[in-house]
Amino acid sequence: MEVRPGELFGLLGPNGAGKTTIHRMLTTALLPTEGTARVAGYDVVRDGQQVRYLIGVVFQEPALDDRLTARQNLELHAVLYRIRPHWISSRVHEALVWTELADDADRRVRTFSGGMKRRLELARALLHRPSVLFLDEPTTGLDPQGRRRLWDQVAALRERGLTVFMTTQNMQEAENCDRVAIIDHGRLLVVGTAPELGASVTGRAGATLEDVFLELTGRGLRDEEATAREQLLSFARRGGELTR
Amino acid sequence: MIQGAAVPDFRYPSARIFDARVLLALWRRELLRYRRDRTQWFGGVSRTVLWLVILGYGIGSSYTNIEGYTYTQYILPGVITLNVIFASMQSAISLVWDREVGLMREILVSPAPMLSVALGKLLGGATVAVAQGTIVLLFAPLAGVELSVTRVLLAWVAMFAMGILLVSIGAIIASRMATFEGFGSISNGIVLPMYFLSGAVFPIRGIVGLGGFLVDLPWWLRAMMYVNPVTYLVDLLRGFLLDFQQLPPSLDLVLGVALPLAAALAAVAAIAQMRRSG
Repeated sequence: MEVRPGELFGLLGPNGAGKTTIHRMLTTALLPTEGTARVAGYDVVRDGQQVRYLIGVVFQEPALDDRLTARQNLELHAVLYRIRPHWISSRVHEALVWTELADDADRRVRTFSGGMKRRLELARALLHRPSVLFLDEPTTGLDPQGRRRLWDQVAALRERGLTVFMTTQNMQEAENCDRVAIIDHGRLLVVGTAPELGASVTGRAGATLEDVFLELTGRGLRDEEATAREQLLSFARRGGELTR
Repeated sequence: MIQGAAVPDFRYPSARIFDARVLLALWRRELLRYRRDRTQWFGGVSRTVLWLVILGYGIGSSYTNIEGYTYTQYILPGVITLNVIFASMQSAISLVWDREVGLMREILVSPAPMLSVALGKLLGGATVAVAQGTIVLLFAPLAGVELSVTRVLLAWVAMFAMGILLVSIGAIIASRMATFEGFGSISNGIVLPMYFLSGAVFPIRGIVGLGGFLVDLPWWLRAMMYVNPVTYLVDLLRGFLLDFQQLPPSLDLVLGVALPLAAALAAVAAIAQMRRSG
C-alpha cells in the first residue's frame, strides 16, 4: 500500500479491523511486530525520530492537557518539537487565529466543547509544519458545522501540498478522499478511488463506497470487549477527578 | 509507505538524548496544573487540620511527651510527610490517565527526548509535593514548632528528596498499570502503610509510658519500618525541624540521598519505556 505525496488518503474498516493500530504504528506510537513501513521516506522503526519531526498527529480522543489553557498546550507542543523560542509566540498566535480560537486562547481546555478541542488539536498538529498529517477518525463526535469546518481546513491544507492520511468509519467522508483502502482483521482488502472500487468490487456502476464496504466486510455486527482505555474513561466518569 | 510533500534533505538531530527546554516545560506544566487545582490545596489543608490539629491535640493530651517533645511537635514532620506522599502519588498516578487519554500520547509521538520528559515529570511532581508539605509548615506555630530560615530551607530539601523518591516509586507502579481500577487499592495499599510505617505517627524506638518505662515496638513492626524507605526521610525531616532524630544522622543522610536517586533512575527508565510499548 502506498500513499502518494499531496494525497488525501482514507483508511476504512469496521470496529477492530486494525485502523487505529496502523495509525499508531505509522505515527511511531507502537512498534510493528513484523513488516516495514516508511513515512516520508523514513523507516518508522529505524528512523522513528526523523518520522516524528515530519508528521502531525490528531488522535481519536483529544490528547490535550485539559487543565492547561489552549495557548499553554500549543506552547508546550512548540517546545517538544524544538521550535525556536522567538518563533513560538507568533506561530501559536497564527494557529489560534486559523482555528478561530484566539478569543478562547487563555481559557482552560476542560471548558472547551468537543469541536473546539478537535480544532485545537488540529492547530497543534500543524504547529511544527509537518509534511504528513495523520488523523484518526477526526470527525467523530463533531456536529455538522464542526465537520464541515474541519473538511474546509483539510482542503486548505492540501492546497499547500500537505499529505493527509486519515482513518474513518464515515462513508460519506471517505468519498471525499482521493483514494481509500479498506481493511478488515488486520488485512488489506482493496485500495483505489471510490468510483474504481464501486465498479470493480460490486460489478455495477454507481455503487457507493458503503456498498463496497458492506460487500467486503459483511453485515454482521462487530462487538468488542471494552479496551483498557474505555474502562479508564468509564472509571473517570464515575468520579475519578483526583486521578487526573 | 507515505511520502511527504517535500522531503527535506537534512536530517533532524536524532541522537539528542536530553533537552533542557523540554524538561523545564514539563516541570512548569506540573506547577500550572497544581496552581489551578483547588481540590488538591483543600486536601492539603484538610489533612493538616485533621492530623495535626485534631489528632495531634487529641492524642497529645493522653501523652506527656515523646523524649521531650509534645505529640503535636512530634507529628508535624509526619503530617508534612503525609501531604508529600499524597501529592507524589497523585502526580505519579496521573501518568496512567495521561498515557491513555491525555497529553502523554502527544509526547510519545513527538521527537522530545524521553529522558527530559521523565525528569521534568519527576522534578515537577516533587516540587508540587514540597508545596503541599509547606502548607503544614504554616501551622508550625500552632503545633509549637519554632521555625528559622535555615530549618525551613533544610526541610524543603528533605521534602524534595522525599518527593523524588515517592513520585519515582509511584511512576514505576503507574507505568505498569493498565487502568485505574486498581487505584483505590494503590492508595490504601501503598500510601497509608508508607505513612504509618515511617515513624510519622509513632516513634520507632517505642514510647515512654507514664510510669517512665519504655514500651518497645514488636520486632516485626520495627522490621517493616526499617524496610520502608520513607522512614529515613521522615527521620531526617524531623532532625531538621526539631533537632530530634531516632536513627543515626549519617545513615539518614546517606539513604536520604541514595534512595531517591536510585528510585529516580528506575523511574526514568520506566517512563522512557512508555514510548512504543503496548
